[in-house]
Amino acid sequence: MNERIRLLFAEAADLKTYTLSNSTMSIEIAYIAPLCDEKMISDFITVPFTKEEIPYRKQLDTIPEYLKIEDPARWQDLMLRGNVLIKDIDSGEIFSFFTGDVICNESPQTQVESAIQGPQIALSEDLNKSMNLIRTMYPAPEVAVEEYSVGYISKTPLLVVFDQRHVDPSVLDNVRSKLSSISIDMVHAAGELEKLLIGKRRHLFPTVLITERPDRIAKSLSKGKVVVLIKGSMFALIMPVSFFDFMHAIEDNYEAYWMTRTLIVIRYLSIILTITLPALYIAIVSYNPELFRVQLAFSIAASRSAVPYPSYIEVFVMLFMIEALIEASIRLPRYIGSTATTVGGLILGQAAQQAGLVSSIMIIVTSVVAISNFVIPINSLSFSVRFLKYPLIAASIFFGISGVAVGLFLYVSYLCNLRSFGKPYFRLHGKVNPAEGDVGQVRAK
Amino acid sequence: MNRYFFYNFMLVSLMNLMLFVPHILVKNRYSGGVSALIAAPVIGAILMYMFTSAMARYPGLGYPEILKKYCPRWLVSLTSVYFAIMWWFSSTIVVVAYAVLINRFFNPDANTTVILIMMVLAAAYAASRSTLTIAFIIEIGIIVNAPIILFIMFKMVRSPQLNFDSIRVIANYVTVMPTVITLAAATLIFTGYIHLALFNRLFPPNFRFKHLYVYPILGFIILLITFFVPIGFHGTEGVDRYIYLWAVTSDSLIMQYGFIERVIFLFLIVFLNLTLVYTMSGWHLGMEYIKSCFKACKPEIDSPKAPKANYIILAVFATATVLYLIFTNEKINYLITSYWLVLRMFTEIVGVLWVFILSRRRLKPE
Repeated sequence: MNERIRLLFAEAADLKTYTLSNSTMSIEIAYIAPLCDEKMISDFITVPFTKEEIPYRKQLDTIPEYLKIEDPARWQDLMLRGNVLIKDIDSGEIFSFFTGDVICNESPQTQVESAIQGPQIALSEDLNKSMNLIRTMYPAPEVAVEEYSVGYISKTPLLVVFDQRHVDPSVLDNVRSKLSSISIDMVHAAGELEKLLIGKRRHLFPTVLITERPDRIAKSLSKGKVVVLIKGSMFALIMPVSFFDFMHAIEDNYEAYWMTRTLIVIRYLSIILTITLPALYIAIVSYNPELFRVQLAFSIAASRSAVPYPSYIEVFVMLFMIEALIEASIRLPRYIGSTATTVGGLILGQAAQQAGLVSSIMIIVTSVVAISNFVIPINSLSFSVRFLKYPLIAASIFFGISGVAVGLFLYVSYLCNLRSFGKPYFRLHGKVNPAEGDVGQVRAK
Repeated sequence: MNRYFFYNFMLVSLMNLMLFVPHILVKNRYSGGVSALIAAPVIGAILMYMFTSAMARYPGLGYPEILKKYCPRWLVSLTSVYFAIMWWFSSTIVVVAYAVLINRFFNPDANTTVILIMMVLAAAYAASRSTLTIAFIIEIGIIVNAPIILFIMFKMVRSPQLNFDSIRVIANYVTVMPTVITLAAATLIFTGYIHLALFNRLFPPNFRFKHLYVYPILGFIILLITFFVPIGFHGTEGVDRYIYLWAVTSDSLIMQYGFIERVIFLFLIVFLNLTLVYTMSGWHLGMEYIKSCFKACKPEIDSPKAPKANYIILAVFATATVLYLIFTNEKINYLITSYWLVLRMFTEIVGVLWVFILSRRRLKPE
């Protein structure tokens, strides 16, 4: 076996192959050292083998962790996943034994979706630890777990988790067929998998929710959603989702009723503001200053009096600055990040206004746009919303306010048109009488 | 699922302002306009009860599919094409009127054709989506815009400038018998139920229409406000000077608090949204009617990808609309609209009676 394995792999110093023998039998073992836990190998294989307290052959036959391998084609794959291959030279049988030791973060704190109350622990990069969290929070016997792997090279293991009682079979079929049809070399991040699952090359809105919170996952399972966990990423994918799930922070379930409702209203207000405000600024300043009451129109005009170019150039200058600033503060190391925001936000903004490059109203508009964007609880939606203002700006340059309204109408139609795994994405959910059935149910397959 | 029916009703009854209904009624205020207000809810309610009871017998089927069960193919195809043209035209009137309105009130120096092309493209894109999507868009359109319209109406009714004397003077002409044109204009408010002809495909088998009595009452209130509020603002004589009666009426109000001072801007933006939604729904219905003529087309309520036929039909619709703007002016548009209203009323009566009789006939032999 060992010669064959050395042929199968490229010249690698970390590929270990030994031949051991004791009084009764001799074995060959092969493994890739960095992927395996050497302590486990010595505890379970070499030490029992040499001590001979119990015949080693008996151990191979009785302990269920030793799996018998019939097909030599699986050798490479097993070894690359941290298995040790053991060959009994006398009988020629080959066994595999899992000693995988993959480095991952140890039950980390929530960072992307933090909540003041609620669990502070996030999913782990290790599938077992994540499943541990999910199973503890959702201890139901109906939880079904299916194993998949994607990527020809990366062979990333995936777990598809759902509650058998509540899951919608059409969605489940859809997810299964999408997962098995993925053809790609590498998958390493949840976002990458999301793109592959949606199947569209260009998408504007996320139709799969990416989360790190086990409580959100448990809640979704109880609503009959399908959760996909990916090894090596501390994020899980939840599907199908609607637009309104993205606007729902997990803390809305934990805090006082009226304030959370108010917060939800504020979130929707700010999403409207962040999309429309720059476009409306252009439309009002350049097309319909009479829209506002006279005093306000005058103060806007006065603040713009020093600015020598049309309003849309002003908007482009400021939006470029703010987008660059946001991008810089995400990418920079944490220590420099705060300096960048201070320099950019405070000093540059103030100076640009005093220099007469932009109006002071525009500074307010820009900051409102940026701040309102951060209000959206799920990062992937916040990211796509950041883009939405630009087409509206283009519409308002040419058509004024009517352009903005038409653009918003187009966004709404696009959203209503979206389906997340066959379920409507942007639909107001009213009461559905189960005896009557739902709209569009007649022909649903 | 009654709400999806309600939204369609509300959409059409609010859109009457763009279809010159107030202007036609006000023009005939001494010759039958007021009595038409009273007759219209009765006619509208009867037609609506007949139509909903007929359609409820065919869950999941649209109007063309029902006709195909009983009538020869050529007749169904002919009717479908006729209905399609009627639907296309209703939307075209609205969207063309609105493009002119933008030119009048928003951007006087903008080119009407360019504005129309923009609106037509947006409406055509939305109309090419699936029927289920259209139902969702109508829902969102109504939920977002109806509160603002309610606010405007509330402000108008409560305004001290509203002169109740002139309203009373006009109301006293109630004894004059209604004419065809006033009836046609007034019944338009109640005509939203006819959208069911295709949206019936969406409704589940056990669906029941509920609270049908609400619709005539609601329509009657909208009709009263539509007719009497402009009279109260402009007086008994001055009121028929304006074609875009409601735009001018909303300009008589100001909002004392808040960013926007003139109500007309609020009104225009809200009606721009509603116009787009209405155009979209009208074109979608027209498109589905034309598709039902072809044997190959199976009615599909939620296809993941829009079929190519959608784009072709809508491109024809959109081009025809732009041509309509180029070859007509406001005067001709207004004239054609009033003829269209009359034709619509009779078409509707015939169509409703037809499907009603068909639905009753099926019951007898069994």
